[in-house]
Amino acid sequence: MASPISSDDLMRYLDGELSPEDRARVDTELGTSTELQREVAIFRALKSDFHELSFQPGRHTASVWDQVNRHVNRPIGWFLVIAGLVIWMTYGTYVFATSSVSSWEKLATGAIAIGILMLLASVIWERYQDWGTDPYRDIHR
Amino acid sequence: MQRQLELELIRKCKAGQSRFYEPLVRAYEPAGLRLAVAMLGNTEDAKDALQMAFIKTYDTLPRFDLRRPFGPWFFQILRNQCRDLLRSRKAKFNVEALDEQIEQKPADAEGGPERTRQRSEAIELLWKGLEGIGTEHREILVLKELEGFRYSEIAQILEIPEGTVASRLYHARSALREALLQMDAEYP
Repeated sequence: MASPISSDDLMRYLDGELSPEDRARVDTELGTSTELQREVAIFRALKSDFHELSFQPGRHTASVWDQVNRHVNRPIGWFLVIAGLVIWMTYGTYVFATSSVSSWEKLATGAIAIGILMLLASVIWERYQDWGTDPYRDIHR
Repeated sequence: MQRQLELELIRKCKAGQSRFYEPLVRAYEPAGLRLAVAMLGNTEDAKDALQMAFIKTYDTLPRFDLRRPFGPWFFQILRNQCRDLLRSRKAKFNVEALDEQIEQKPADAEGGPERTRQRSEAIELLWKGLEGIGTEHREILVLKELEGFRYSEIAQILEIPEGTVASRLYHARSALREALLQMDAEYP
């Protein structure tokens, strides 16, 4: 005859997740079924071995906090730097454009500034494309 | 960590005070590393996964519901991170580097060298058994047996109904037993 104790109930019994009534029902069945006793013994042995397996990080296993901290705080730093740069550049451009400097001086300076920005943008774009195909990008130094 | 203290730290982090994140990281790091090592099988991959999980957790803290417990939520993120790592790197569960980085429980003084040797063998066998079963089986066994989570917490971490936990555990334990028997391990 099949055991009235389901495999789910058996797991809950082993893990202490059954109500007192259901636990008593399993205990009663355990008293009469050698098959169930054997199953419980097997699973208890497995559980016991697992407790032997418990381990803790070694003394020389460094905390990950430093790396986490860098990632958590770096975006704030970048935001502040970029925001500051944008404000200064906008203000500088405004002051320069409305100054009494002659038009050809404004044009020449503007061309240099735009050229530098274009060069910078192209280098960043190249780096970005290289990063996308870099097979070692997941390797941490 | 006390629930009230944990809540206070999370509130501060949500308000953008990142320095209050450190106690949370330090508190959950040992258990997180145990889970990640058990899922990935080696310390290096485990630390990568743990680091990413802490970063993702911080990034998603603004959406965290303070009525929910933090632990299962964090372990859910860590578990997903471990699975992503296994997929993206085509990494295999690998126990080779384990012994160098992880300290086992202190030896049983009363058992003597014979007991210590038997225990080492049993542990090695169990790791090999874990290597032989699927990720789904391994993760639920680790959550239950190593971390001691209740069924309700496991259900939350694995994003499954609570009623499914027992049957998953049954299949996982049976699979592990089968793997151990194939290695000629003796079980009652």
